[in-house]
Amino acid sequence: MAGTIIADTIQATSQQISLNVGNTTILTASSTGLTLIPTTNVNINIANSSATFTTANITGVATFSTGTAALPSITTAGDPDTGIYFPSANTIGFTRGGVEVGRFDSNSANANFQFNSGYGSSATAYGCRAWVNFNGSGTVAIRGSGNVSSITDNSTGDYTVNFTTAMPDVNYSGVVTAKGVAGTLQGIGTENHDATRSTSALPVVSVRRDTGSGFDSTQVNVAIFR
Amino acid sequence: MNQRIIYPTDDGGVKIIVPAPAWLAEEGNTMEVLAQEIVPAGKSFKIVDVADIPSDRTFRNAWEYTA
Repeated sequence: MAGTIIADTIQATSQQISLNVGNTTILTASSTGLTLIPTTNVNINIANSSATFTTANITGVATFSTGTAALPSITTAGDPDTGIYFPSANTIGFTRGGVEVGRFDSNSANANFQFNSGYGSSATAYGCRAWVNFNGSGTVAIRGSGNVSSITDNSTGDYTVNFTTAMPDVNYSGVVTAKGVAGTLQGIGTENHDATRSTSALPVVSVRRDTGSGFDSTQVNVAIFR
Repeated sequence: MNQRIIYPTDDGGVKIIVPAPAWLAEEGNTMEVLAQEIVPAGKSFKIVDVADIPSDRTFRNAWEYTA
C-alpha cells in the first residue's frame, strides 16, 4: 500500500511489530523495547530537540562537533559552558565557565599539556618527573616521594636519589635544597660533583654554607624536571 | 619501611639504601627487588632492621660493612 498512515495507535497481533524498508527490517518494537537494525549508520534527527538515553553503550566511535570554549561539545546537563571541546586538529581543549583552562596541543613530538592555573592563559606545563623529601640526619628516612624507589645514604651529607622509572636522558633539571641547623649553620643542597648523574639516579649532597663541608640535613628536598 | 639494605663500598665503607614507603606500597615491590635494582652487580648485601643502624651519625664516614 502506498501513501500515508495516520493513526493514534498501531497494534500488533503478535508480540512484535516491525518496520521494513523494502524487504529489510530496520526497526522492531516489542515489550522489551525498540531495536534498530541498521544496515549502515543510524541517524536520529530530532529538530530543535535532543535525544535522551539512560545508558548508551557505544561499541564503535562516538563523534562530536568541535564545539567552542563557550559551548563545548562534551558537557554536562545544566552547565553547558563547562566541558571538553576540540579547538583545532589534533587538539583537545578543556573549558570551564566558557573560558579555556587547559588543552593538549597539536605538537606531534611532545603532545604538550597546557593549563592556566593563574598564568593568564593556557601555556605548556613541564612536569616534575620525580621528587623526594627525606630526613638525612639521625635515622635517615623518606617522608614523601614520587617516582623514587629509594635513596642511598653514601656518607655524611652524601646521598643518591634512585628513580623508579628512569628519565629519557640525563638532560633533566635536578633541584636540591637542604635545610640548615637553626642558630648554627645554613645549608645548601646541590648535585654532587664527585659522582655522575644517570638516567636512573641523581647524586646529591647537603653542605654547610660557611665551610662547604658536608653535613646531615634534617630536611633534604629533590625535584626532577624534564 | 623498617628495613634497610646495606652493602660495602670499594674503600671499606658502607652504603645504606633507604626505601621509599610509596614505592614499597606498590604490589610486587620488596626489599629484595630493591636490592636487585640498586646494589651494584657482584656486591654482597644484607637486609637489616632500621634499629640495627646507628642513629648517631657523628662518625658516619667511618662506618664499616661486616659480612
